[in-house]
Amino acid sequence: MEYVNPEGIREDGRRPLEMRHLHAEIGTVARADGSAVFEMGNTKVIAAVYGPREVQNRSQQLNDQALVRCEYTMPNFSTGDRMRKPKGDRRSTEISLVIRQTMEACILTHLMPRSQIDIYVQVLSADGGTRSACINAATLALADAGIPMRDLVTSCSAGYLNSTPLLDLSYFEDSAGGPDVTVGILPKLDKVTLLQMDARLPIDIFEIVVQLATEGCKAVANYIHEVLLENTKQLEYRRGL
Amino acid sequence: MSPMNGSGDLSSEMEVDAFRHLFPLRFHERHLLESIRPDGRPLGRARDTTLALGAVASADGSALAKIGCTTMLAAIKMEVMTPTVESPDEGCIAVEFHMPPICSPIVRPGRPAEVAPVVSKQLSDTILRQVVVTFSGMIDLKDLSLVSGKAAWMAYLDIYCLDADGALFDTALLSAVAAFCHLKFPMVSLNDDGRLVVVSGESKGGKSGKEAVNKEQRKLNLISIPFSLTCTLHKNYILADPTAEEESIMETLVTVVLDSSLRLVSFYKPGGPVLAFTSAVM
Repeated sequence: MEYVNPEGIREDGRRPLEMRHLHAEIGTVARADGSAVFEMGNTKVIAAVYGPREVQNRSQQLNDQALVRCEYTMPNFSTGDRMRKPKGDRRSTEISLVIRQTMEACILTHLMPRSQIDIYVQVLSADGGTRSACINAATLALADAGIPMRDLVTSCSAGYLNSTPLLDLSYFEDSAGGPDVTVGILPKLDKVTLLQMDARLPIDIFEIVVQLATEGCKAVANYIHEVLLENTKQLEYRRGL
Repeated sequence: MSPMNGSGDLSSEMEVDAFRHLFPLRFHERHLLESIRPDGRPLGRARDTTLALGAVASADGSALAKIGCTTMLAAIKMEVMTPTVESPDEGCIAVEFHMPPICSPIVRPGRPAEVAPVVSKQLSDTILRQVVVTFSGMIDLKDLSLVSGKAAWMAYLDIYCLDADGALFDTALLSAVAAFCHLKFPMVSLNDDGRLVVVSGESKGGKSGKEAVNKEQRKLNLISIPFSLTCTLHKNYILADPTAEEESIMETLVTVVLDSSLRLVSFYKPGGPVLAFTSAVM
């Protein structure tokens, strides 16, 4: 199976170091405190943030910091075949945990004790890289909700097929069985908060692929900055300042 | 959300907002005296409605409907199944309505919203209804049959609420009907085992030996299209298309469903104070 043809073009016409088209919108769910839609190519994810608000389960209340909860769901129609169990299956639970821990690292939870922040992420259309798209969407939604954070968290995936490092895998490339590295960083502080990899990879190639994914994250961070700046301008304009 | 008095005075803005949260009933009643509602609509007007077909690329039929801020995404996936013995040339439709926690601050994960099963039941009644005496369902199940007795289509309709701001049933019905309008049957061909298998859209030239059972992708035939309107009743006022705030404080709710020939399909009033028959008909 050829994923990169001899001219160096991938299945969907991109070059190996090229990301998919990014598109983001803020404030799509009117009832939520913060919400965002994030698209990476054909993967489309909607995130909503509710909080800080009262803890719903008193026994879980933390006295010195905020409780962060996250739920990741995929509707039945988001992948090619209809899924039987949209949530509660192992993959969804794992991704919920991953997103929660990633966001917890960057939210300043000690500023909001005894409260709860809920992040709900729903995948509308899945085409590879859903984990990354979810984290990016969650970052935007948290920024829209005005929750204090240390820095944005951006995430991107990369892989290694046909002896070429590839950036931002689509579902087709992901299902090839090669290694899949997902990296989440805080761009300004230049720190890594999420790093996941499966399948085998020699260590020197691993470094190259991680470096590539980090570059991808920085590109996403630039885009998110632009979107947030545009959004602030709109808010200023509407307020008449 | 804009305050009632036009002056941009910050202190009076805060007062109006606080009044709205602390005494919502009086806030709305003061508006009703002027025959207007907090968002500026007259009593009988519904909110702006938008509809987009084909919102989900991976589904066979899909639609996104928005009434005001209430957003619903409906998608249909078709699968081949064997029909039951007592109705060998009829297909089947399964309707499911989901309210994920994203849509509203009162929905918690793990515990589904109270209104979700209610809306779900209303939807399946309206879509699947088969009246025995007069023929007026929305879809003829015989339309969904492929090979009589052996294979028929099973349509899974999933509706996801992405934002809940009142009039849930109206928006859900609108998105479901639109998804059915947009539905195209996938192409099917006979497998080597003699079973019908769904063929994906692109057909590569080299793969012959599989003949398609239905050559073109046809669309589903809808007999009559139902429309619905939800109204709340409060004392003597009837408000059309309530928002979530209005729904939560008003006394009772009425939903009327009409079909394209203006016949009454369904009338739904779940409890609440008794009202005069004439005002209900109006």
